[in-house]
Amino acid sequence: MANEKVDVVIVGAGASGSVFAAVLAKAGKKVVVLEQGPDWQLTDLISSDFWGRRIKPAGGPFLLEGKNPFGYVYQAGWGVGGAALHYFANFPRLLPNDFKIRSEHGRALDWPISYSDVAPYYDKVAQDVGVSGDAKAEEIWRPAGDPYPMPPMKTFRGGEAWRKGCEAVGIRLVPAAVGMNSTEYKGRPACIYDGWCHVGCPTGALANPLVTYLGDAKKAGAEVRPHATVTRVLTNPQGSKATAVEYYDARKERQVQEASAVVLAAWSAQNPRIMLNSATDRHPKGLGNASGLVGKYMMAHFSSGTWALFDEDVQNHLGTTGAQLMSYDRYGKTSQKGAFGSSFIVAGSALKTSDLGGFANARLDLFGPELTAFMKRAARGLTRIGAFGEELPNIENRVELVGDKDEFGMPLAKIVHSFDQDAVALWNANFEEGLKIAKATDAKEVWSARGNMPTIHLMGGTIMGSEAGNSVTNSYGQTHELPNLYVAGPGIFATAGASNPTYTILALSLRGAEQLTKSWSTVAG
Amino acid sequence: MHDIERRALLKGAAAGALAFTVGGAEVLLTPRAARAQGVVLRTLSATQAATLDALGETLVPGARQAGISHFVDQQISIPAEEALLEARILNVRPPYANFYRAALGAVDRSSQALHGGREFAQLGEADQRTFVDGMRQNKIEGWQGPAGPFVYLLLRSDAVDVVYGTMDGYAALGIPYQPHIAPTRRW
Repeated sequence: MANEKVDVVIVGAGASGSVFAAVLAKAGKKVVVLEQGPDWQLTDLISSDFWGRRIKPAGGPFLLEGKNPFGYVYQAGWGVGGAALHYFANFPRLLPNDFKIRSEHGRALDWPISYSDVAPYYDKVAQDVGVSGDAKAEEIWRPAGDPYPMPPMKTFRGGEAWRKGCEAVGIRLVPAAVGMNSTEYKGRPACIYDGWCHVGCPTGALANPLVTYLGDAKKAGAEVRPHATVTRVLTNPQGSKATAVEYYDARKERQVQEASAVVLAAWSAQNPRIMLNSATDRHPKGLGNASGLVGKYMMAHFSSGTWALFDEDVQNHLGTTGAQLMSYDRYGKTSQKGAFGSSFIVAGSALKTSDLGGFANARLDLFGPELTAFMKRAARGLTRIGAFGEELPNIENRVELVGDKDEFGMPLAKIVHSFDQDAVALWNANFEEGLKIAKATDAKEVWSARGNMPTIHLMGGTIMGSEAGNSVTNSYGQTHELPNLYVAGPGIFATAGASNPTYTILALSLRGAEQLTKSWSTVAG
Repeated sequence: MHDIERRALLKGAAAGALAFTVGGAEVLLTPRAARAQGVVLRTLSATQAATLDALGETLVPGARQAGISHFVDQQISIPAEEALLEARILNVRPPYANFYRAALGAVDRSSQALHGGREFAQLGEADQRTFVDGMRQNKIEGWQGPAGPFVYLLLRSDAVDVVYGTMDGYAALGIPYQPHIAPTRRW
């Protein structure tokens, strides 16, 4: 079934798709956003770890392979708002050293742009969605920019308790930059520090898409269609332009939505799956895949966490799920001896009892009466510091279609992922430093949160680059081969950095959406 | 608006407890209440439920009374996209019932092999603890089924959920629950 042609069809109603929808709808374009999952409202965001699992996928179309299979569901979105409906809203930036690793160190990849190209968009996003923090304090590590529109969030003992330990090893902590309201902002209330960010913030204090860009897009006339599963991007006979997307609606009936421009904002792994499944005679390896790089260079962050148990009450039920304090003091690519890659440090988050991040999992070895005793102590005295580490792009980490198909006849895909020795070395170095920090606090007991090496923040798969031979898109997310087909989200990152990615996702999406708007007549006209 | 007023306002938008079938009608109950009322299990067999109760209680004291078997049974009896199980975020592929059947079967088979034909629920407390510790460390010889440490992780998570993840669980630990939107029936 064909629908009325629109200007833009956007696949995915998460962070990046929402930005494109807002910018283009405000520019007067007719926009349709297709979202695979339900149409969540703020009132669906129940403060419960049980109920918070509803807004994540239940068995995705991805098989997980490799030495470090990518356990993605915890971080993935399912429904309107996407993963940004339950993200922690930590808003660190990438730094200038992230953009030229190949030039400066002879390894990994260069981005086709530099920090100065993205920085104005960080500042714009901060004004758009509301960021709290101390930009001046951050400028010990990065070029100056605009101040954040709100002062830093409150801190609690669970964060402040780490200052002494960090000072002992020469790490400076500053207020974490977060996409949350420390004060009322644009009619949205201030945060009340109840620590339920990770299951979705219904108050509007946290900058999720429903209360920011997607809300703006809807006000400007964008239509969001939930339960719309996109299977292919369709092209003209010459293969020179995207013309439509094929999707299956809530009744599982096939639909075609024609559009002058298509934006794939589904997810780092789902975008390549759609592009590979869209192969035609003109694009036998999949759309935008003449280079063979669609699905390649999948990247993740990994975290080295350290727990500290205090006798005193550290107020760990207060705060936000993300972090109270942050540091870039180990962000240099060679900061940790014997390892390579950036590390980004965060300290002090509100703790809940259950779920993956719950404090019952702080001692996974305990069960029975020993766990009961631990829970009573941890309920008041436990806090955590963590270091995100950077994985370098490796072409072997990839998304590929497999033979099995989903209910719509679309091939499933596998994500093959293994960390290399650089990543393992950095992970270990950060554990060692975490313990040093913890031992220098006043904690009674300290230990590393070691387990299987975690995969966090899936990125890559449709990386940007300077030319069609080394990348899938240009710096705006525009595919090299089809000028009216864009890819949005962390999939276009050329390297991963160590910062939580959403702020950069929003900034790059804003940059890409503005470019599409400005060049509309040549790109999509 | 004052914080407390905002919480109270949002609480009115709360949705959903778990739906159990009692006397042919669907009623909303906590798993603890479902257990107390003897609600008939939909998917788990009596043996599987007994094994799950015993495992849950060994992992997290209080899990049996908190209704771990009724919780899991209800959750694996509904469509996967509605499920609230930690299995969902631990990348278990639906239908989740398959995982639980395989895991509980593996536990009982190994228990029978190690303990003269006795299922896990029939073991004494000390043997149950030793078994669970072996499963945790992947040290049970002849284990056949989903990886022992993963079974430990997932069932421990379910037990933590029903004991500590509820509003009652927070109250027992003396932690303010602080909901923006409270789950109904303290769930």
